[in-house]
Amino acid sequence: MPASEALRGAPGTPGAPGTPLYGQFPTALRFSVREQSRNRLAALLLVLFVPLWYLLMTSIAGDKDLEFKLYSTGELLSVDGKHVTLITAGMNSLTMISGFVVFDAVRKALNFDKRLAFAGFRQSTLIGAKMLAIGIVAGTIALYTALALLIYWRPGLTGWATILAGFVTMTLTYGSLGLLLGVLVKNDLEGFFLIIMGGLTDTFLQNPLGNPAANKPALQYFPSFGPMQFSVGGSLGDTVMWRYLGFGLLWAASFAVIGLIVFHLRTRSRRPTR
Amino acid sequence: MTTRPQPALAARDIHKAYGKHQVLRGADLTVEPGQLVAVVGENGSGKSTLLKAIAGTLSVDSGEVRLGGELGYCPQDPVLNLNLTVDQHLQYFAAAHKLDSLDRAGELVSLLGYEKYRGTAAGELSGGTRQKLNLTLALLHDPDVLLLDEPYQGFDWETYLRFWDLVDQLHERDKAVVVITHLVFEQERFDVLADLVEGRLTPRATAVKEHSNAGV
Repeated sequence: MPASEALRGAPGTPGAPGTPLYGQFPTALRFSVREQSRNRLAALLLVLFVPLWYLLMTSIAGDKDLEFKLYSTGELLSVDGKHVTLITAGMNSLTMISGFVVFDAVRKALNFDKRLAFAGFRQSTLIGAKMLAIGIVAGTIALYTALALLIYWRPGLTGWATILAGFVTMTLTYGSLGLLLGVLVKNDLEGFFLIIMGGLTDTFLQNPLGNPAANKPALQYFPSFGPMQFSVGGSLGDTVMWRYLGFGLLWAASFAVIGLIVFHLRTRSRRPTR
Repeated sequence: MTTRPQPALAARDIHKAYGKHQVLRGADLTVEPGQLVAVVGENGSGKSTLLKAIAGTLSVDSGEVRLGGELGYCPQDPVLNLNLTVDQHLQYFAAAHKLDSLDRAGELVSLLGYEKYRGTAAGELSGGTRQKLNLTLALLHDPDVLLLDEPYQGFDWETYLRFWDLVDQLHERDKAVVVITHLVFEQERFDVLADLVEGRLTPRATAVKEHSNAGV
C-alpha cells in the first residue's frame, strides 16, 4: 500500500531562503501512511487470512436459517446463517488486522514522534496526519475485506455498500483502539492480546450462530453492535439505518480522542522552565 | 543589572527521584557559549537522567532549566523510526525544524561517512550507523546548545576522530556542548569536567585548560 504521489511532501522551491523545504503536514502524512503500511505480517494476513477465514466460517455455518434482531424496527429477520456469518467473519478479521497495524506502528514510533515534537513539529499537525493516515489505511483494509466477501456472496450494490460502510466503521474503531493501546501499553503482547480478545468477543457475540443470546439488549454496548446492525439491515433487511452507523463512529471517535489526548501528553516537553 | 552575557544553558537545583531512589539532589549546571563540558560519573550516577531533564524528555521533581538558544539533544539509545530510510529521517526533521535546505544534513552525513546508506531503512543499519544518524538528527538545525549522551557508541576509530573534528568546529563557532563520557583518555579535550556524585555536579577545570572560565 504505497502512499500515492499526491501525498508526497514535495520539496519547495530550492534557493528561496526562509521557505521550509518540506511542509509539516504532507511530510507527516506521507511517513505515517508509510510506517503503517510497512507491516508485512498484517499485509499477509489481509491477503491470505481474510478469504480463508470467510471460507472456514461459512463452511462451519452451513445453510441454516438464523433469526437476527434489527433494533431500529424491532423485527426479527430470518436470514441465511451463512450471510450473517460472512459479515461477522469479515468484521472479526478486520478488527484484528486494523488494530494490529495501527497499534504496532504507533507504539514503535512513539519515542520518535516525541523527538519530532521536541524538534519543533507541531503536535496538532502530527496528530492530524496520524489520524488521516489511520483513516487511509483503515479504509484500504475495509475495502479489501469487503471485496473479498464478493467471492462468497453477491448481496447487491446497496447491500454491499452498507457492508463496506460497516467494515470501514469497524476498522476505524479498531484502528483508533490500536492508537489508544499504542500510546498506553508498554509491551507488544499486552496490546495484541487486548486487541485480539476484544475483537473476537465483540464480533462473535453479535452473531446468533455462535451466540444464542446474540439478540439480547446487552450487546448494544459493544463497538461492533452499530456497524453490524447497519450492515445486516442494509444487506439482508432492506433498511439503511444511519443512526446505527453513527453508534459505531462514536466508538471510533471516542477511542481516537482519548488516544490522541494521551499521545499529546506523552509527546509534550517536560522541561522545567519558569 | 549585570552586563554579563546570558549563559547558553543554566540548570538550577534539579531534583529527580525514581520512587524512593533519589538520583539528582540539586544538580546545577551552567554552560557558557563556546564552552565544552564533560559530565562524568559512575554508572547509575544519573548522567543520562540529568541530560533528559535538561532536554525536557523526562519530568523532574523540582528545579529550573533556562536555555539561551536552540537545543540539540542526542539521546544515548538512538531514537529513530526503523521503517524510514536515512533520507526520510532527514526530511522529517527538516520539516520539524522548518529548514529551507538539507545542506547541513548532507555535510553531517558526509563528515560521519555514511552517504552510501542514505536510501537504507534505519532498521537495516548497523548499530554504529544508527548512532551516526541519531547524532545527525541532533545537529541538523545547527543548534546553539548541544547535549550529547555518549554520542560515539559503536563508532569505529576513524569516525570517532571525525566526531571530535566536528565537536572542535562547533566549539570554535561558539556553540555550547555538553558530552557524557566515560573515556578517561579524552578528558583533556574538554574545558570543564563536571563530576556527578551523589546527585550533584562538582566542576573542575581540566589540566590543560586551567585558564578557561569554569562556569559550572
